[in-house]
Amino acid sequence: MTENVLTLKQFFDEARAGRLTGIRCGKCGELSIPPKEFCPGCQERNWTAVPLVGKGAITSFTVIRVAPRGRGEEAPYAVAVVRLDEGVSLLGRIVDIPFDTLRSGLPVRFRPLVKGEETAVGFGPA
Amino acid sequence: MRRVAIIGVGVTKFGKHDRTSAELFAEAAADAIHDADVSPAAIQALYYGNVTGGEGERQLHMGPLAATLLGLPMIPTTRFENACATSHAAFRHAMMEVASGVSDVVLVGGAERVLNIPTDAATEYFAYCSDASMEQTVGLTFPGVFALIARAHMEKYGTTEEQMAHVAVKNHRHGVLNPKAQFRKEITLETVLKSAYVADPLKLFDCCPFTDGGAALVLAAEEVARKRPRAVWALASQAATDTMFMHEKRDLSRVMATERAAAAAYRQAGKTPADVDVVELHDCFTIAEIVATEGLGFFEPGAGGVAAEKGWTSLGGKIPVNPSGGLKAKGHPIGATGAAQIAEIVTQLRGEAGPRQVEGARTGLTHTLGGNTATVLVSLFGRD
Repeated sequence: MTENVLTLKQFFDEARAGRLTGIRCGKCGELSIPPKEFCPGCQERNWTAVPLVGKGAITSFTVIRVAPRGRGEEAPYAVAVVRLDEGVSLLGRIVDIPFDTLRSGLPVRFRPLVKGEETAVGFGPA
Repeated sequence: MRRVAIIGVGVTKFGKHDRTSAELFAEAAADAIHDADVSPAAIQALYYGNVTGGEGERQLHMGPLAATLLGLPMIPTTRFENACATSHAAFRHAMMEVASGVSDVVLVGGAERVLNIPTDAATEYFAYCSDASMEQTVGLTFPGVFALIARAHMEKYGTTEEQMAHVAVKNHRHGVLNPKAQFRKEITLETVLKSAYVADPLKLFDCCPFTDGGAALVLAAEEVARKRPRAVWALASQAATDTMFMHEKRDLSRVMATERAAAAAYRQAGKTPADVDVVELHDCFTIAEIVATEGLGFFEPGAGGVAAEKGWTSLGGKIPVNPSGGLKAKGHPIGATGAAQIAEIVTQLRGEAGPRQVEGARTGLTHTLGGNTATVLVSLFGRD
């Protein structure tokens, strides 16, 4: 039994340094982001932190034009669900890709988006 | 377990108010108690729903405040928060209190006030219903959540922006018939299709509005309800949860929590989708109605867009959906919505819905979705 192989803070500390990390179930092999205690697939509590390459393809996306307070100057911006090559998905902000070229299946690559203390998941051109 | 009935309903006018959410709830609750024809002293508990009071009104500890403003400060209260499914979740628990025999008469409902704050602040507070670490940090909004779903549905099934627009046109047409609705004005397909994008492919007229309002229900055990010919039975109430993370959804074109809650509710009530005469479902965005009509079993997966286009969900259609105008036209005071949907179904099953009455309706369903599709409640109602 293993606990706390990865906390959210560690996930974002790693991400801030450009390294994407998931956890893999020691019983059924399920890959997961973010960290959790029991495996949703098999309920085992036996995770190992695994590095992810950060390459994947867009599953679905949107261009957000009405932003929440504090993000008004960032709009419009694109957000996408990306399926990573390892088989686990992740939501991220799309950067440096023109809106009119966005499509499902478009290859993208992880990059951290750092703004002061905050780290967010981003994806840029592959 | 005992049978539970709804014996009273109350809903404020939806729209902009200069009263607090607790005041709005108190008005709806007093109306519900009058409608139930019980003494206020008969109320034994309050299950209260509100979402953004802490942020928008600097108000927590709302249950006792709502009870106090109602004039019943002695009853035990609990506040519920399940994003947009808040007061439907409160309803399920209130129903269990009566069914279990703990109380005979219970008040449930909720209220929301957001039109007192700027739109970008309300957008921020609503976004708190998505995950703070991974979703709010990338700027995901609720239109954004349903835009991801819409694009997946469009790509998988060929659903079109025009089919989504039909949902808005239909719900506005219904809203004209509801004196409590925030918008009582018909709109055209062209109005929807030419409105500005909020989160592509969703446009302004695909989105429900921000709304102030309150709604309340009085629930009673069978021995109280039996003497009341206008009582409507709660046949089933089920809740389901799905992962909080959009990236973990198994299939973005479906809402798994809807499918699971619906299956459990039909089983509990001994009903099938074909038994349902009238539906109030969670059309926070037009695509949400299309996906819900599929998840609730009224249409095959992928057929919801065509159903909207063909008018099958209109008053007079195969399965009338949102005769109240839905969240789109009636409005969406998020803490009140679940209770308001139930109030509409009770009104329909009583045969008291006036020009928006679904003739001969005997069985009704309500569906309320919370936040990033992580919470869904489905309940079924019927007359003897």
